[in-house]
Amino acid sequence: MGRKGGKEGSRRLPWLPWVGVGLVALGSLGALLTGSQLWLVVILVLGAACCGVATGQLLAELGKARRERALLDARVVQSHKLAALGELSAGIAHEINNPLAIIGREAELMEHLVGSALAGAQDGPRAELQESLREVSRQVERCKEITRNLLSFARKMEPVFQKVDLNRLVEDMVRLVERETQGKGIQILREYHQGLEPIRTDPPGLRQVVLNLLNNARQATEQGGTITVRTKAVLGGGVEMEVQDTGCGIPREHLARIFDPFFTTKAHGKGTGLGLSICHGIVSRLGGRIGVRSQVGKGSCFTVWLPVEPGSGGNA
Amino acid sequence: MAPPRVLVVDDEEDFLETLVNRLRRRGLEAQGALSGPRALELLENGVFDVAVLDVRMPGMDGIELLKEIKDRWPFLEVIMLTGHGSVESGIQGMRLGAFDYVMKPADLENLLEKIQQAHERKSLRGD
Repeated sequence: MGRKGGKEGSRRLPWLPWVGVGLVALGSLGALLTGSQLWLVVILVLGAACCGVATGQLLAELGKARRERALLDARVVQSHKLAALGELSAGIAHEINNPLAIIGREAELMEHLVGSALAGAQDGPRAELQESLREVSRQVERCKEITRNLLSFARKMEPVFQKVDLNRLVEDMVRLVERETQGKGIQILREYHQGLEPIRTDPPGLRQVVLNLLNNARQATEQGGTITVRTKAVLGGGVEMEVQDTGCGIPREHLARIFDPFFTTKAHGKGTGLGLSICHGIVSRLGGRIGVRSQVGKGSCFTVWLPVEPGSGGNA
Repeated sequence: MAPPRVLVVDDEEDFLETLVNRLRRRGLEAQGALSGPRALELLENGVFDVAVLDVRMPGMDGIELLKEIKDRWPFLEVIMLTGHGSVESGIQGMRLGAFDYVMKPADLENLLEKIQQAHERKSLRGD
């Protein structure tokens, strides 16, 4: 969440080029009227200098605007990409759900049939057959979990805005995760901003975001590491929540894709790669922003900015 | 606002009875169910605003019940009761659309506050 200082404006001198042009004109006029070469040189040099400085400033402004534009473009591209992916995955999930349910039902039926039809048969093969069918059911369950997650990633969840004490909501989630981290020798540090004004947001949506970030931090952190949870009031408006870990960090080449659905670096079968994309979707719907800073070997820090009132702006 | 109609689901009979009585004394319309299937039966035949589910139950556990509830009554708000050692289920519950969780042994004031918030949410939805 880039916060920019109020530096711009103080060094901008919009009258500078006019002074330059004026001086050049004055110099030319003076030279014409008096015919003095000295006048001409001194005033022209002054004028040219003013114009030069003004041009330099103009170029710097232009460069800054370009960089801001690029950042904005990247954000727009990112949110468009996620929206398109969301629609695609929801479509696939819907299509797959039905056959999946049928496979699950048939497997259950077969397991039942095997039991009664092969009642007199040898125990070994029958048990093997039943176990194999149970495995089919288990894998179907796993697929259902994935489609459910996909749908929740794409779901146009209508947020319901309620008054929320951010510190309390965060603390509730921290307590849930802390039971697990204590056993693993990971310490959770709290840096809550006291007297934070209540915000209006969707409580269960926000809980899910906080929990996902804490869970990721917990998985990334080794024994003896720390997770720092922070809340802050933001100067330009809104509130911020940060989850910082001393874990393995995220390589630069992964950072750009970290909110993409199915992008995961966790071991196969350990993560669906949907956690952060779900977080991104929820935070966007709440009118907020989510960002990440990370250094390999040092840890990562996820920041969620939220408006105090839905739809109210804050820092750009 | 009419008092919240609450369904409490827990397999521990003493706990369930005590909690339902305490909620009633606080002016809530509370009913109890000792199992997931019993809860579904009550839900089919009655109207509720908030369900309070124990995560750990024999047979159909709280997570299974939550999935079933969210599939069939998506606007019913669910609060999970999680005990020590069921953190993962608590996390899963939030992911599956639970409104909030309360750590067991449940502090009544804390639970009441969360029930009120869940009820408010359901009313705000205009459901």
